[in-house]
Amino acid sequence: MKARINLNVMMSLAIMAVSAYALYASLQWPFKTALFPRVLSIPLFFLATTEMFLSLGRSQKDVQGQAMDFQMTDDIDPALARRRTFMIFSSILGFLLLILLAGFPLAVPLFVFLYLKLAGEKWLLSSLMAVLCWLFMEGIFDRLLHLPFPQGWLFSLWG
Amino acid sequence: MFDAFIQGLLVILQWHTLAVMLLGIFLGFWVGLLPGLGGSTTLALMLPFIYKMSPVEAFAFLLGMHSVVATTGDITSVLFGIPGEGTTAATVLDGHAMAKKGEAGRALGAVLMSSLMGALIGAFALAISIPIVRPLVLMFGSPELFMVAILGITSISSLSGQEGRSLLRGLIAGLLGLLFATVGEDPQAAMQRFTFGQLYLWSGLDLVPVLVGLFAIPEIVDLARRGKAIAGDVPVGHISGVMEGVKDTFRHFWLTIRCSLIGTWIGILPGLGGAVAQWMAYAHAVQSAKDATDRDRFGKGDVRGVIGPGAANNSKEGGDLIPTIAFGVPGSSSMAILLAAFFMVGLVPGPDMLNKHLVLTFSMVWTLILANIITVAVSLAVLNHLAKLTRVRGSVLIPLILFLAFIGSYTANNNPADLVTFLFFGFLGYLMIQCGWPRAPLVLGFVLGRIVESNFYISTSRYGAAWLHRPLVLLLIGLSILVMVYPFLRFRRGEATGKEAIQ
Repeated sequence: MKARINLNVMMSLAIMAVSAYALYASLQWPFKTALFPRVLSIPLFFLATTEMFLSLGRSQKDVQGQAMDFQMTDDIDPALARRRTFMIFSSILGFLLLILLAGFPLAVPLFVFLYLKLAGEKWLLSSLMAVLCWLFMEGIFDRLLHLPFPQGWLFSLWG
Repeated sequence: MFDAFIQGLLVILQWHTLAVMLLGIFLGFWVGLLPGLGGSTTLALMLPFIYKMSPVEAFAFLLGMHSVVATTGDITSVLFGIPGEGTTAATVLDGHAMAKKGEAGRALGAVLMSSLMGALIGAFALAISIPIVRPLVLMFGSPELFMVAILGITSISSLSGQEGRSLLRGLIAGLLGLLFATVGEDPQAAMQRFTFGQLYLWSGLDLVPVLVGLFAIPEIVDLARRGKAIAGDVPVGHISGVMEGVKDTFRHFWLTIRCSLIGTWIGILPGLGGAVAQWMAYAHAVQSAKDATDRDRFGKGDVRGVIGPGAANNSKEGGDLIPTIAFGVPGSSSMAILLAAFFMVGLVPGPDMLNKHLVLTFSMVWTLILANIITVAVSLAVLNHLAKLTRVRGSVLIPLILFLAFIGSYTANNNPADLVTFLFFGFLGYLMIQCGWPRAPLVLGFVLGRIVESNFYISTSRYGAAWLHRPLVLLLIGLSILVMVYPFLRFRRGEATGKEAIQ
């Protein structure tokens, strides 16, 4: 049977790498510090190896188990699902970058507005939601609770 | 004693005390609903406001606020799939799955009623146990706490599912969670483990960004992929759905009671906390499944998966207060903050709280009861409006959920590095869902990891290997083995019964 690399195999490989690193790192530590990481990483490595071999040569659908957890919706066109997944992860990463660059007070209304506009929402709704989110954040976190929001990197650079 | 109990109610019903309690409940209601605000953080932020209050008013205010946070946190977990609080993450698994099936009303009805029952049982436990709890708590040293944590870890077998390779994946996830718990400074030798030179990792990974990431990101991705509202095209249940959920709590009455008792007991034991209580209660709810088919319903919208954690995360409040009031030993970070409140109003927890200040102690019991009754009544009244949120277009909800998730993760420590942790665990959660790996064992391992390690070393340093012979430890070892093999025995028995039926 021709071996096929699927997401499960890659996930198992990643866990094997993490456990192998944990074991390697623990070799430098005193016994008490190393005991738990060693006790955990050795069986983790072997269990992940078992999972990897069991997943090899099978399609992703075959190896998806019945986890006691929710399952992603699968009644949509796979190409559309992939595109939407890519878009949402890009949005999430973009939001993080915006927060780091511009800081929360600016990033939040900007992100909410841009996301809603790009999703095809009307100007009024997009603007209203952006203002409400900003008011909520300023009102609760800044004015009421005095939680500090750091300046974005851009503003820090400009002093 | 009974006079003091009644007097405790009367002092709470005085208009000024009642007013500050209602203010506390109002704050707690919103703190629970918003993932960005933690119960402990808000409790700490409200401490300066109690300086001018009498002790009864101060505790009515603080406990009124804190005791309802888990109740409304469950609402957020059900509706949006983001844990409103760290202690309400387990409700996401089945509660949000029900919301996606258009049963948001039923899920909310069930979680609110089970929360109320849990809170009442916790308050009742507090009322009756103060005089008798001392010997019980003193029986639990570090060896017993270690074994209780091990007992929790054995629940992984119940949380993994039995079909195919679910157990193997559950074990991997559990071990991975335990390994994540070792990140940070080792408490024994003060050595850095897996910190990669980052100061942020010295104190280990924070539970809030880990939980919010693991649960919120996969739900957001799924919502974006579907391109519809949370409830999709399914009509949302109206008031009948809510009442069905309320009835569900009574249909599974003994499960509610057992999970409430689990929550209370976990609350009493110092250092385990609400995050553990909800998962142990969830695991217990899963174990109560009749057979493999029945068990498979969990994680896909089974009301028992909502009732169990809902009851436990509220009942633990009463349990938490017992060691705090009776011995001044706080069982959680929230109780440590509450302990500070005792000193701020000039009280010392301990025997005085059971004699000289007995009325105040009972006023706390009444605060727990009244605050939860009021919150559940208000929530039930506005539930249909809340359930309608699951009909809002996904494209409108996603930026709001993302905003709350990001801000919730950030405010855990006010550290931007928490945002990276949130994203890392969010991506991990997404991969786990994609591959059909269960997330609950990972969370359980992560929550229990530090407790297991620290109590193991304290036990070994204090007693050598002799702690293994302590009667309670032996009892807990037996119980752990039973919890581990019970699902298999039930599974086998179910299979045998099925074969007999076919023949």
